Amino acid sequence: MTDVMASRSAAGPEPEVTPGEDSGGRRTSPTRGQASRRGQLAAWAFLAPFMAAFLLFVIWPLIHGIVLSLTDQSLTGAGGSFIGFENYSEALSEPVMWSSIGNTVWFTVITTVPLVLLALIMALLVNTGLPGQWLWRLSFFMPFLLASTVISQIWVWIFNPEIGAANEILSAVGLEPIAWLQTANVDLISIAIATIWWTVGFNFLLYLAALQNIPDLQYEAAAVDGAGRWRQLFSITIPQLGPVTGVILVLQMLASLKLFDQAYQMMEGGSSETSRPIVQYIFEAGFVGYRFGYASAISYIFFVLILIVGIFQMVVLRHRKADS
Amino acid sequence: MIDTRINRRSVLAGGLAAAGMAALAGCTPAQSSQTTTLQFWHLLSGGDGVALQGLIDQVNASHSEFHVRPTVLAWGAPYYTKLSMAGAGGRAPELAVMHSSRVPGYVPGGLLDPWDLERLSALGVDESTFTEPVWSSSVVDGQLYSVALDAHPFIALYNTEICEEAGALDSDGRLLRPDNPEDFFEMCREIAGVTGAHGLSYGFIGDGMQMWRLFYTLYCQHGERMTFPEGGTVEVDEDAFIASLEFMHTLADGEITAERGTIDSAIAEFAAQRSGIHFTGVWELPAMQSAGVPVGATMIPPFFGEEAVYADSHSFVLPHQADPDEQAREYTYTVVADLLKNSLTWAEAGHIPAYLPITEKPEYAQLTPQSNYAAAADHLVYDPVAWFTGSGSNFVQQFGQIVGNPIVSGSGYEEALTRFRSYVNSLLAQPNPADPQGERS
Repeated sequence: MTDVMASRSAAGPEPEVTPGEDSGGRRTSPTRGQASRRGQLAAWAFLAPFMAAFLLFVIWPLIHGIVLSLTDQSLTGAGGSFIGFENYSEALSEPVMWSSIGNTVWFTVITTVPLVLLALIMALLVNTGLPGQWLWRLSFFMPFLLASTVISQIWVWIFNPEIGAANEILSAVGLEPIAWLQTANVDLISIAIATIWWTVGFNFLLYLAALQNIPDLQYEAAAVDGAGRWRQLFSITIPQLGPVTGVILVLQMLASLKLFDQAYQMMEGGSSETSRPIVQYIFEAGFVGYRFGYASAISYIFFVLILIVGIFQMVVLRHRKADS
Repeated sequence: MIDTRINRRSVLAGGLAAAGMAALAGCTPAQSSQTTTLQFWHLLSGGDGVALQGLIDQVNASHSEFHVRPTVLAWGAPYYTKLSMAGAGGRAPELAVMHSSRVPGYVPGGLLDPWDLERLSALGVDESTFTEPVWSSSVVDGQLYSVALDAHPFIALYNTEICEEAGALDSDGRLLRPDNPEDFFEMCREIAGVTGAHGLSYGFIGDGMQMWRLFYTLYCQHGERMTFPEGGTVEVDEDAFIASLEFMHTLADGEITAERGTIDSAIAEFAAQRSGIHFTGVWELPAMQSAGVPVGATMIPPFFGEEAVYADSHSFVLPHQADPDEQAREYTYTVVADLLKNSLTWAEAGHIPAYLPITEKPEYAQLTPQSNYAAAADHLVYDPVAWFTGSGSNFVQQFGQIVGNPIVSGSGYEEALTRFRSYVNSLLAQPNPADPQGERS
């Protein structure tokens, strides 16, 4: 989850500067060719460490993974002979792989929607000038700072069917207790609840920052024109938050698709058919079942899935931008 | 103003200091330059970890020529993954602990080196110093691949005060051992009457390992054993399978035991003295003793005729080394023999020492309640042998998935059996993924 922050800071476009020209595009000196070559060398020198790391840790594993996915390579070093697309055809005909993808997509839906809506509501409430703003900000954001191991432990106890707080609350309002993490189809929702509690603070913070960027002038003008609070909310606030909502949606969907650590820990490593995310299936195939080739094949199937989601979002967002 | 900028000199100085610290950290006072360091990986944490560390300290104190350096890794799949990767790379630690039940899956992949019987026997460790079930669980393809430190069966702890009040103790103050399910259920209901909560604590919800431990105990009490022949089909007795699940369903009625007990809530319940009996592993005994529970222990009664208890063993293995240092390996044999001969301390952690000369000692007989379940060593049943079975394996998790609902709902036993059969048969049809082409077997 924390890499979301890192990827955000790298998301902004960098201004392009061509060596040998000043910002106005004028020619700067007669020795332009030399200077330009030196500039290019310097640029490559600066790029080299990053490029080396990129090739070594991204491009090479990517290629190596594809090669592995076409073999019966075992984690133990045995095997490794070429078997064509056998792994792919096995994975595609494996119901557990499809149910894992289904679980991951379902988890993405049930977390992304509340994580956007709740964050928005929380930010709006705090932004209206509630007393003790610092306390709200702190308490909404604090869970995000906890490690997944910590939140998993907290929620495992809350969800304990015999002695947990969640069932205490249910029975206090006269409802039947539930085995939260041990009931099929409920387990993933329980993980989603814990995840929402854990990560909503980050989106809340993004929304709060965006809210504070909307000029007061617009609200004053609207008030002069006789717009009430609701009118202002729907005609000024929500549209102004459009771009940040787009960013949050993209980040959130990618984060939710990567579900693994909290699910693995809350299910104590053994997940059910209705809670096993695809990343865990890959982990189980490769590191528990020793089938590296097969695990590589599933990761590429998952990669294609993410690629489709990414392209879809890009198209939708570009479409929206063009509309506005 | 303090200058906080980093310059080349400060980086160099810092680096040198760090290197110095690392060099210092690598030495312990007891080591001399001739000392061989033996890397030892294990997965025992908590009370077990403390007890094992005590044993290792003892061994280190009595030998100056080598020093055992233990590394503790997380239990379950992560441990086994790391161990197999180390063995696959040929640069494994000198010694490691595994569950006996996992050993058969490791041997075909060439991940373990066999023990040399002659060297062991020269140190007083051989077939005659183990019970038959323990020794045979260590042998794969006619070779000894593991040396068991203990057996840790699934047993019944009981609260002596609560059970006495419920009339569930015999004249010697030991828990009655009914030989049929009905009498046992009745006894548990009596105990529940005393505690006002439950008679028995048994957590299984969402936990395939816990379900399997009790299930396989009950299944084997029918005089049956499952066999998983490689490339064949599973042999499983239908009646014993269903009767065992029915038994487990009857337990979870909200009176005998909690309907939705997890392993954690069962431990908490018994520790808080809100139940009289606890079905659990022997490793839980020290925690109950330190929680102040007046605790006794016994084998799970033979409800279906035959005495049988599900068990596993913590065993010493030699992870495969491509180029073993002969001297270090020699020392490793000494370490294992020493650990076995000191394993009376290990019994205090609840386990049954596998090394018979220990359990035959008078000191062990005086160790209660441990000695009360020592007889379990003759009735141990280990997991059916296959590459996919064993403690912390996917197989037990999948078993839990298959039988979980029938146990809770009390229906669908037949479907569960069908699903179990087809699941196991599909695994039997696959090659061992540690050795997909069978080239190392």
